[in-house]
Amino acid sequence: MITQHRIRRRMATTTPILLALLLLAFVALTLALGDRAAARMASETLIRVTLVVGFWIFAGNSGVISFGHAAFACVGAYVSAWTTLNPAMKATLLPGLPPALAEAHWHVLPAALTAGLVAAALALVTGAAILRLSGIAASIATFAFLAMVNTIWANWTPVTGGTSSVVGLARYVTPWVALGWAIAAILAASLYAASASGLALRATREDEVAASASGIDQYRHRLLAYTLSAFFCGVGGALAGHFIGVINPDGFYLSLTFLMLAMLVVGGIGSLSGAVIGVLAVSLAVEALVRLEKGFTLGTATFALPPGSQEIIIAVAMILVLVFRPAGLMAGREIMLPARWVTGRGTSQN
Amino acid sequence: MTLTLEQVGVAFGGFRALTEVSLAIAPGQVTGLIGPNGAGKTTCVNTLTGFQRPDTGRVVLEGRDMSRLPAHGFRRAGVARTFQAGRLFGGLDVLDNLACTGVGLGMRRAAAEQAAAEVLHWMGLEALESRPAAGLPYTDERRIAIARALIGNPDYLLLDEPAAGMSEKEAADLAGLIRRIATEKGIGCLLIEHNVGLVLSVCAHVVVLDGGRVIEQGDRATILGSAAVREAYFGADQAEAA
Ligand SMILES: Nc1ncnc2c1ncn2[C@@H]1O[C@H](COP(=O)(O)OP(=O)(O)OP(=O)(O)O)[C@@H](O)[C@H]1O
Ligand SMILES: [Mg+2]
Repeated sequence: MITQHRIRRRMATTTPILLALLLLAFVALTLALGDRAAARMASETLIRVTLVVGFWIFAGNSGVISFGHAAFACVGAYVSAWTTLNPAMKATLLPGLPPALAEAHWHVLPAALTAGLVAAALALVTGAAILRLSGIAASIATFAFLAMVNTIWANWTPVTGGTSSVVGLARYVTPWVALGWAIAAILAASLYAASASGLALRATREDEVAASASGIDQYRHRLLAYTLSAFFCGVGGALAGHFIGVINPDGFYLSLTFLMLAMLVVGGIGSLSGAVIGVLAVSLAVEALVRLEKGFTLGTATFALPPGSQEIIIAVAMILVLVFRPAGLMAGREIMLPARWVTGRGTSQN
Repeated sequence: MTLTLEQVGVAFGGFRALTEVSLAIAPGQVTGLIGPNGAGKTTCVNTLTGFQRPDTGRVVLEGRDMSRLPAHGFRRAGVARTFQAGRLFGGLDVLDNLACTGVGLGMRRAAAEQAAAEVLHWMGLEALESRPAAGLPYTDERRIAIARALIGNPDYLLLDEPAAGMSEKEAADLAGLIRRIATEKGIGCLLIEHNVGLVLSVCAHVVVLDGGRVIEQGDRATILGSAAVREAYFGADQAEAA
């Protein structure tokens, strides 16, 4: 006999496939518009999917809000810059790089993977200290970590260029490249959520005390999720750098932290689909606002929002979602195929 | 071969919740722990399961000093517990609630779900398998909490007021379940209950706690005959009058 529980588990396996198809359709539609601005928006959105899904792997399963994940994106962006920039350029821009990095002139794919791995290694080391703290204390510590990374990056001028931008990153991030990484992040996130560690971590989210009475070592599972999560934020940071071609530490600081949190809150932290839908909803809303800021013409009149109203409107949208739909647009639900599609022939008999 | 507290003292600030408490839980038997409100029963369970570090004395499992082990380490060493407040994982369904203990004990997810289904079957609770834990009726919630603690066949199970709020009939069913846990699974149980009748009907050995001290222990006759127990429960006046 097949139980409801088994059916739900099977339905859950369709989530990453449906989300991937949704993103594919999103890319196809925006490219069909044939508009360069739309293509840019698609790439940017998919990079954010990589970042926010990465973020969700930790925050969604553990229930611990991290303010530090923009720092992993920062590290990822610089690692990719260090390893891919033209050595002649690095000699003038970043004279303090160790010789191995100064001479490196890698292909962008190994650079992106290394960006993720370095971010993950940093998460493993810092998480080992931070994640011993409980809930809110851990959140505050992640914020301190973010501020520390930002300060170091802004002042370690010979290696990071300080507050002045590092320029000349190869602009290879097309919507398709970004789509590939976004789908990779979604697959990893859903595999993790379905794993033993994912279940254990959700147990700690529901009740820390009962989880330890179930033999669950909260610290270990949090650290694992934190590390995996940082990998995709590192990759997302690298993609963001190569998308614009210019990076500086403040591009990966408070406003990115705020944006990632806003997206997760709008979509709903309780599900992977929530993370993806949140990014799409906020990105599309922002795109619409940007176009309004530029102004549009209706007959003879031109309408335009004052510049800078974007952030305010995102904040207002987030507050409205928090008030009227506190669990986010998806409210913890996943996008899945309905039960009758996933139960095989044999089960219709009983 | 037992799970024991040896001369355990626990203080919260200046308040001594436990003072020189020694007690033993025998394997395969049900030991009772009774005492008035605030006597220190839950603190005993917390100490026996790693949720509370003893300030003095030791917790010993099969000859091994456990005093410095974290709570999840106790569970992995075979000491399971339930909580006075139920504490199910509300956002997960019943099978996943049980499977959490499986993965906590190091099983893969499929093996954990298998173990969960077996325990539900043993308790006759298969029908609840796919229900969200958050909406369960009170008695089912209690039984699922016990089921969750039984995953992986622990050597000891500590039950903190499992029958609180149950009807006479439900409490009697629960007593039957606890007997089965001890006899069929060979698990040593500690049963905390305010319903003294229930405790005396199930337990071969009962420990009575009052004001953080063990004031009596023994079999049914010893407890019923004890002046100290009567005094703790009914106050000195009635004890003298009786
Ligand atoms: N964390 C704590 N901090 C301070 N005091 C505590 C703490 N935990 C328990 N106490 C106190 O220790 C005493 C014993 O508490 P405990 O919960 O062990 O009693 P109990 O026998 O389980 O009572 P009940 O029958 O009401 O559950 C009580 O007076 C309680 O107020
Ligand atoms: Mg108690």
